[in-house]
Amino acid sequence: MSAPEVVVCDPKPLSFRQRLYLFEVAKGLAVTLRHFLGNLFARKYTVTVEWPEVKRQYSERLRGKHILLAKPDGSPRCVACYMCEEACPAECIHIEAEEDLASASVEYEKRPKVFTIDLLRCVYCGFCVDACPKEAIVMSRTHEMAFAGRDEAIVGLEELLQKGPYEKLDLGYRPYYGVARTRVELPIPVKPADRTLGESTSAAR
Amino acid sequence: MNGESMENRKETLAAIRVAFPDGGGVVELPGGDVQSFRVDRAVLLEFARHLKTDPKLDFKLLADVCGVDYPGREARFEVVYHLASLEHGRRLRLKVPVREDDAVVPSVYGVWKAADWFEREAYDLFGIRFEGHPNLKRILCHAAFRGHALRKDYDPGQRWLLREGEQDEPAWARESQEDEDHFETQVLNFGPSHPATHGTLRTVVRLDGEVITRAEVEIGYLHRCFEKMAEGHTWNQVIPYTDRLNYCSAMMNGVGYALAVEKMLGVEAPPRAQVIRLILSELSRIMDHIIDVGANLNDLGAMTPFLYMYQAREEMYSVLEACCGSRLTMSYVRIGGLSHDLPEDFVESVRFLLKRIPKLVDEMETLITQNRIFRDRTEGIGKISADDAVDWGWTGPCLRATGVAYDVRKAYPYLGYETYDFKVPIAHAGDTYARYLVRVEEMRQSLSIVEQALARLEPGPIITDNHNVALPPKEEVYTEMESLIWHFKLIMEGMKVPAGDAYGFTEAANGELGYYIVSDGGGKPYRIKVRPPCFAIFQAFPHILEGHMVSDTVAFMSSLNVIAGELDR
Amino acid sequence: MGNPDVKASLPRFGDGGRGGSGSRQLDGSPAILTTRLDAMIDAARKNSLWPFPFGTACCAIEFMSFMMAHYDVSRFGAEVVRFSPRQSDLLIVAGTITDKMAPVMVRIYEQMTEPKYVISMGVCACTGGFYRAYHVVQGIDEFIPVDVYVPGCPPTPEALLQGVVKLQEMIAKGETRYQRALAAKKASGA
Repeated sequence: MSAPEVVVCDPKPLSFRQRLYLFEVAKGLAVTLRHFLGNLFARKYTVTVEWPEVKRQYSERLRGKHILLAKPDGSPRCVACYMCEEACPAECIHIEAEEDLASASVEYEKRPKVFTIDLLRCVYCGFCVDACPKEAIVMSRTHEMAFAGRDEAIVGLEELLQKGPYEKLDLGYRPYYGVARTRVELPIPVKPADRTLGESTSAAR
Repeated sequence: MNGESMENRKETLAAIRVAFPDGGGVVELPGGDVQSFRVDRAVLLEFARHLKTDPKLDFKLLADVCGVDYPGREARFEVVYHLASLEHGRRLRLKVPVREDDAVVPSVYGVWKAADWFEREAYDLFGIRFEGHPNLKRILCHAAFRGHALRKDYDPGQRWLLREGEQDEPAWARESQEDEDHFETQVLNFGPSHPATHGTLRTVVRLDGEVITRAEVEIGYLHRCFEKMAEGHTWNQVIPYTDRLNYCSAMMNGVGYALAVEKMLGVEAPPRAQVIRLILSELSRIMDHIIDVGANLNDLGAMTPFLYMYQAREEMYSVLEACCGSRLTMSYVRIGGLSHDLPEDFVESVRFLLKRIPKLVDEMETLITQNRIFRDRTEGIGKISADDAVDWGWTGPCLRATGVAYDVRKAYPYLGYETYDFKVPIAHAGDTYARYLVRVEEMRQSLSIVEQALARLEPGPIITDNHNVALPPKEEVYTEMESLIWHFKLIMEGMKVPAGDAYGFTEAANGELGYYIVSDGGGKPYRIKVRPPCFAIFQAFPHILEGHMVSDTVAFMSSLNVIAGELDR
Repeated sequence: MGNPDVKASLPRFGDGGRGGSGSRQLDGSPAILTTRLDAMIDAARKNSLWPFPFGTACCAIEFMSFMMAHYDVSRFGAEVVRFSPRQSDLLIVAGTITDKMAPVMVRIYEQMTEPKYVISMGVCACTGGFYRAYHVVQGIDEFIPVDVYVPGCPPTPEALLQGVVKLQEMIAKGETRYQRALAAKKASGA
């Protein structure tokens, strides 16, 4: 085996100045003082996001709480095919199907009677979205959640089903179409002037 | 990926046959990704010694020991050893079959010290006893655990409750060792919940005054049963689990796993996917080193660099989140490619990072590298020689800090690493300070790799179009019957990986991350064994610790970058 | 109290604690001084939570983000991280708890001085997540009471901040498990 090219980074001996320590203290303090004064007067190095007033720019693929999309008539697009339930590594999706004779069509024969997701089991991997053959389940960018009990976190159809135009929903992770649709913003904007309250995230799509 | 030719195999075989002729208990198995031998346990010890000491063979590094359970076979268990020769760049796999009613194998601890914890793990999870092992007891599961969890007939959900007071204590911790010369001995318990043990490691030390005279490490506080879980999920569903192995650099675990499975399937990710995997892997390496160096400094009391450097992590998180939708546990890799294409402004944002990170690293170096306090506290601490390090199975930056220039990216290139221009940083002292220097230099090298890779980012597909492996594009699933059937089969049954076994290994942030994968041809893995780099590194820790002061423990431990997620799995 | 509208507008008592106004005691009698004092103490408590980071796994890395300058939890008064249970009043369990770790966690919870609150960060701590396995606790509420569950794997720092804010609201309203237990004890004693 030929030896790879190496770069040797053995310790360099300390110079007299460095051993004296005093100058080094000053040098170190200069670095920290620069940050301190820069922040104090110009907010030059400030990196703190003033959450919740300011929110950073989230990715359009952010994997948050799920959304069940609806057909134009308001009923779920879901056909209760159990693919997401099967694809879920955490087994957090529970579906019970029923036949919908009234509005049955070639495309929609079944519909979910019960569709629950345990948000405290879900690992937000997005596999359910990849598995869905109807684009019925997608993820939103709602990720700031906190519950006071475990039962609260088991959400059913009425909470998951979102009607209305897609633009109104804060959509996150969606099926892959081969087109890059997301933006990164660096350095991460932090000042309130950059982003005002309320207008947080869904601007650039 | 292994860079192994038939000539090499013949040479190895010839060197083995000199001492172990045909019929002597060593049988070469045909084919395989790595040259394999079935070894009778009666000759195992002698064979192991021969492999290590014969200069033509020179298998000094024991990478991995694991058990596999085949309930149908007469010899139910198989102990699998993975060896490497750093000198000749060769790999070897030994398989030792044992019966259930007589599951005893001689311990190779006397040959390679690296076998210490690996054998304990095989004992814990399979109940295979290793004769002659100095400390054969459970390592991952707790003391009140009954049964052996990775046996196929063990129910994955069967839990055992551990009550307070039943925890395992080293036997020596109860003995008093005081005499007239040593009257200030005491036993001290570090962790598992201690700020310097990062949450999940426990070290029991015996002190004589302030000097540690004996130490033992207890791990398994984060044993989340990755390997058992993997057996119950399809090949693709394992990916989210791999993210949670080394969670400081989640991308690299997924890449390693995907490469290993792709090797078995015989598929390759498209070139664009490979470049993306490489860029994100190198960014993850930087992220990992930031955590490790930062935590090391933080434990020593230098908080400032960590605070400054962490911002670079936040910015990298933003890039990762834009790619796949999650900051930390990305689940971005799929077998055969990636889940999504890059965002539009990926190149600009990575270029921004390339400008930003060196500044932060420089700033940290100004504060720390030639800082007398830091050097006084780290030089000579946790020192290990190159030979010992290889013997213990060390890889990665910790091994390179002892002067061994072993890097999987150079020795067994994957993802096209051979075409990139980068150097392997090494140091010679083998102490905590050397590890710090190597890691800092590695960050700079990684940045240079990322820069080169950005230039090669050509448009193209990001996942293979082999629909036995990868989900068909969504627009086809919505419209075409055939694609829908592929989609359905892949989700419901999982992809079919040909029966056999393979060992895929990559250079993760801590060293060689190996996946030993056994498939029975079904939609789910039969067995996945992870070879976590820090498992081998950390097992040497209590032995090196002896003779150090208590306060050095902290500096030493965090310089090893032990990530509990992959240590305990 | 014949008028149902008036009754509905009064603060709720019982399990929910003292209700919003804080001008009455648990039994409904006016006791301005003590309740005001209680409200003040609660305000002090909620704005200076001292977390004990019981970080074991991936969530601990996001917990670091939550502590660091970018999200900066000190804006919510909870930056004083203590690794001694005696000095902290908020246990943040960040990461998977295994059966081997459970006794340690229980011991730490018991060592904390009252009042104490628990945030369970991440789905592993909340329910075990996707580790339905032989060595993983299926939710830390098997062992200790939990006030706030934060989902996510791992939760983003914003989600954990949301959890802290929610806990602060609960403390102000007297809805945490500790406060409810105390209220129940007082009510039964009276």
